[in-house]
Amino acid sequence: MAAQSGMVDPAIFQDLQARTDEDTAVRDELKEFVQTLEKQTRNILFVLSRAHSTPAAKLHEVLKAAESPIDDAVATVSKLSDAASKVPYYKFNQMWSRQMQDLVFTILFWGWLGGKNEGGEIKNGRLLTIEELGQLLKIPVNLKDRDAFHLTIEEYLHALISLVEELARLARNSVTLGDYARPLLINQFVKDLLAGFQILNLKNDALRRRSDGLKYKVKDVEDVVYDLSLRNLVPKKEETMQE
Amino acid sequence: MAHTKNQQPASPFMPMFEAFRTELDEHHDRRERIVKASRDITAASKKMVRTLGTALPHFVEKSNAQYWKTIETQFQSISSDVQGLNAYRYPQLTWGNQEFMEALSFQHYLETQTLISYDDSKARVAALCGDQPTVPLTPEDYVLGIYDMIGELMRFSITAMATTGKLPAASPKRSQADEASTDKMDVDEQSTGPPRNVLDDLRDIRLRLEMFEPSQGSKFAHDAEKKGEVMRECVNKVENALYSLTVRGKERPKGWSPDVREDRRTEVQSY
Repeated sequence: MAAQSGMVDPAIFQDLQARTDEDTAVRDELKEFVQTLEKQTRNILFVLSRAHSTPAAKLHEVLKAAESPIDDAVATVSKLSDAASKVPYYKFNQMWSRQMQDLVFTILFWGWLGGKNEGGEIKNGRLLTIEELGQLLKIPVNLKDRDAFHLTIEEYLHALISLVEELARLARNSVTLGDYARPLLINQFVKDLLAGFQILNLKNDALRRRSDGLKYKVKDVEDVVYDLSLRNLVPKKEETMQE
Repeated sequence: MAHTKNQQPASPFMPMFEAFRTELDEHHDRRERIVKASRDITAASKKMVRTLGTALPHFVEKSNAQYWKTIETQFQSISSDVQGLNAYRYPQLTWGNQEFMEALSFQHYLETQTLISYDDSKARVAALCGDQPTVPLTPEDYVLGIYDMIGELMRFSITAMATTGKLPAASPKRSQADEASTDKMDVDEQSTGPPRNVLDDLRDIRLRLEMFEPSQGSKFAHDAEKKGEVMRECVNKVENALYSLTVRGKERPKGWSPDVREDRRTEVQSY
């Protein structure tokens, strides 16, 4: 303190500046990965959006085409995960949380369309769990015992809401394609998800606001089913043979 | 409306959502505890600052003991909630930390006429946490708390000028005293050596803060910019008050107080 002429010991702010500069460097490094991820997610969605105009018989082509952009994104997630695991997770997580939600949504959509069915016939309606997503993305999920990069429950739930929104759109477009069975499948699926969301005690945050909108999306799908049943277009149940 | 022949069986996703609910409830409980502690720390720190401003050493020590106790209790109550992965999870923690930093640095200044360092501040928090793991105090908490402390120094200076007709100043000898804790700054004291008064100190710290560069685009940068404006106004007020004192000092009637607008005060406090 003897070297100090005024009130402030200059070392205090030198030290703080050094710490802050370190954070800035970390931020810059992570930002690059996050931006790449954003671009790659858009590529996946670009491919998958063809599902809205592709009949079920040709869906496998779309799903196949999505695999390579998904692989790209998974590679970036690995890089991001390596870099981000060196720093406290929640200190920087707002930098990528949105992008991870978007990516997870595209993979959920891909999985719902039947992307994860190895071989065999394409089957719609599968929900990838958070654990399955962790395996696909090669990252841990819902970590509690250590501080490293992972997929959080909140991010997964955000992605589920996006999935419902996308499926509501797909329900209408299926009808346009002449597929009258898929809206029924979607109807049941989104209702099941809504029921799940309704047992969560969400606080007043972004997740709460978005999940409040779920019921309108579910209603959109119900309206499609209603339109179909009104015109007797609803296919008979699978158990009974189709006439 | 829609025809539902097969009456809804329970959603197959229920077990998954039940697990999520448990997790989220834990998270929200933790957050609520932190919010509450953060508010209590804020309230206690504000009261501490108010008593410090009275500059009556004995009164200060006695009445602030209870606030220190409150802060200690609150820090200990949330200590386990903000460890490891959760260290940065609850941004609400920063409210209390900043307010505590304001009180701590103000008291430290009154006692020693120096700025408490970041490391010393962390050590104080660690000491309050006792045998619990320490509650993290980030550089952001520290810097933003110092910004707020300048508002208190401003009020302290203005009050001193109004009551004694001069700026509080410390002789260098006093400022280096090791037994600083009993060595409260005395506003009535005649400064002996080279005069380093509160305004010099305010200017010094203003300079440091203006030179300081937070990560661009971060929330920290945003907060620091907002507080920077208030900080500059505070220093300007003391400069203006000293100007008034110098120009009109000799003809100062009894009970006169420097001409400063206090309408900004609420804004300063609200940060």
